Amino acid sequence: MVIAASLLLLAGCKSSRVIDEVQIIQEMGYDFHDGKYVGTAVYPTFKQGPMTKPNLLTTSSPTVYDLIPRLSSKSALPIEEGQLRLILFGKEFAKRGITQIVHSLARNNKVGSHLLLGVSAGSARELLDITTNTTLSDTLYLPNLVEQNASSMNLPKTNLHLFLYNYFSKGSDPFLPYFEKKGNFVKLEGLALFKDGKYVGKVSLRDSFLVKILLNETKNGVYQLKVGNRGKQGEDRVMLQNLFATSKYEWKKKGHRHVLHIFVHIHASVRDYPSWLDVPHKKIFSMVKKKMEDEMENDIRRLLRYFQEKEIDPLGIGEFVRSETRNWNAVEFYREYKDLEIKPHVTVDIIQTGIGE
Amino acid sequence: MSQATKERFLVSPFLVFFLITGTQVGIGMLSFQRLVMKEAGHDAWIAVILTGIIAHLLIWVMYKLFAHSPNAEDIVSIHQRYFGKWAGFVFSFALLVYFSLLAFTVLQTYIEIIKIWMFPLMGAWQFSLIFLVLTYYAVLGGFRVVTGLCFWSVVIPLLTIFPMLFFPLEYAHYRNLLPIFDHSIGEIFSGAKAMSLQYLGMEMLLVYYPFIKQPEKSLKWAQWGNAFTTLLYLSVMLIAITFYNEEQIQHITWPTLTLAKIPEVPFIERMEYIIISVYVLVVFPIICIAVWSASRIAKKLFSIKQRRFVPMVLLLLFIGTLWFEEKEQIERLNKWISTIGLYIVVFYIPALYIYVTAANKIKK
Repeated sequence: MVIAASLLLLAGCKSSRVIDEVQIIQEMGYDFHDGKYVGTAVYPTFKQGPMTKPNLLTTSSPTVYDLIPRLSSKSALPIEEGQLRLILFGKEFAKRGITQIVHSLARNNKVGSHLLLGVSAGSARELLDITTNTTLSDTLYLPNLVEQNASSMNLPKTNLHLFLYNYFSKGSDPFLPYFEKKGNFVKLEGLALFKDGKYVGKVSLRDSFLVKILLNETKNGVYQLKVGNRGKQGEDRVMLQNLFATSKYEWKKKGHRHVLHIFVHIHASVRDYPSWLDVPHKKIFSMVKKKMEDEMENDIRRLLRYFQEKEIDPLGIGEFVRSETRNWNAVEFYREYKDLEIKPHVTVDIIQTGIGE
Repeated sequence: MSQATKERFLVSPFLVFFLITGTQVGIGMLSFQRLVMKEAGHDAWIAVILTGIIAHLLIWVMYKLFAHSPNAEDIVSIHQRYFGKWAGFVFSFALLVYFSLLAFTVLQTYIEIIKIWMFPLMGAWQFSLIFLVLTYYAVLGGFRVVTGLCFWSVVIPLLTIFPMLFFPLEYAHYRNLLPIFDHSIGEIFSGAKAMSLQYLGMEMLLVYYPFIKQPEKSLKWAQWGNAFTTLLYLSVMLIAITFYNEEQIQHITWPTLTLAKIPEVPFIERMEYIIISVYVLVVFPIICIAVWSASRIAKKLFSIKQRRFVPMVLLLLFIGTLWFEEKEQIERLNKWISTIGLYIVVFYIPALYIYVTAANKIKK
């Protein structure tokens, strides 16, 4: 009796969503254009077998919230956002603030924490359009691009969770990957920096290596350094490949002011170096090592200067100081943030130079 | 008055471990971090330990309460013996109502989670009907069946859900824990007060005490159960403190479920759905024990058979689920019931103990 009754009742409970009866959005773009918000959705259409073709839906609306309902009115199947992998913001949109979207994402139980966010130099729609045209079957071109660069190159790890963490944190500011359109290709150009949910600036892909190291992500990344003055392009540079790096912060009192010391220790391999360095004895190498360290310290100082001028804190220095101070006050700290003395100390250990001498 | 409960209805003392942990760890495990961290910030873990110690003391008090009587009794007999027929009736009846409301709150909160996370269109009555029919079946099986459910409600989630919660350590900011003791004693105590709601459920020991074989020997198992609960809460709290920052967690309703969005395996990308489903096993025994306790009290008060009384309670619970729709109502209900529970456990039980001890002294 009970079983029969529950069978009948359970049959009424279903709210299933069959895979080929929904439109799975995998990437979403937001733009602000001529006083209107433009939403772009990329979804795969399944053809024979495993082949998929990316398709684009676009709509515009005076408000952000009804973009997805409006997209629905252009789609034959119900739109499902559970498989969203990347959300791209146009620069104009990002400048106006992405708070609304972020809060709604934080509340949305359907999207995962691994969702990637990004900023495009031009319009997000244009960029997504390129990815649908240049890739044959891959709707996940941009997410894969980000993940590949985060796991093996200069890009620090980013995703929705990390963005929200830095966004809500009193002692740090979020950053996102920054894309640019180069001809018919999409190129990762570095990091877009945010303050209070608004785009305020960017750092280059080369500098994102420094951000990555300073955030204490230990592996991967490449960095080109100038070590001599031989004039010709490429003749005085070495390519440093990070194998293992650590960064340590110290908050020290000097007089009645505090100084932040940053100790960076990089174990690197240098495989590409100019021919004049190619000498058997190691003395010259230690000279080069010193030069690399100085150069890198300079670069870090320049980068931190830039952050301080913009009054943003993507490295979470405030978070660090909070963990070192009792009753830390965010407002007080950031009032003096601009004049904070930060001293980087870099040590480079060259532990590999490839298999040839 | 009290007759020794027959041997075949009793459970072994070590099962008290599972009864205590099973009833304490419930739906609150999914959301407790937010409330505690609101008060005690990143020192919330200290509040968890503090509450755990207080719970240890209260369990000890409960056992002491029963130590006065010659053979195993429950709270109803104690009420009757010390407060007389009528006052004793009122106190026991209040407990009956409290246990029924507790079952209702747990059911309602779980239904809300299912509706928000999994089936937004589902009506509450469909789920609650199936669930309550199942509860009827389990409770009529007797206390041993309910204890068995409790056993699995500890073991299965421990093997399935608990390991998943360690995946987010990939994103852990261990510095979030520093500086230790950054909050005042007052703030940590209000954190402990928020935390104390998570330990509720152990007061049902007052009812099932005579169903334990050699009950005085089970004290050590009850204490171990409570220690285990504290360990679970402590580890989940530490994970949450390192994973979220104080501001962020205030924007998340169920921090533990959001934590579960991190582990990813190729065939299941969203672990939180698994956790919600497995959580039936956590919620179900709590409802069963609460309903069982309520019906046990009723049996002693009205000499009504449990088989007759249980359907009445379940029917009331079912009708109740039809009324509650809004999140705000559920939150208010939760707040109410937890405040009542808190007063029962923290103030009423020690007060009763003092009264009973004093009365015994005078008699002598």
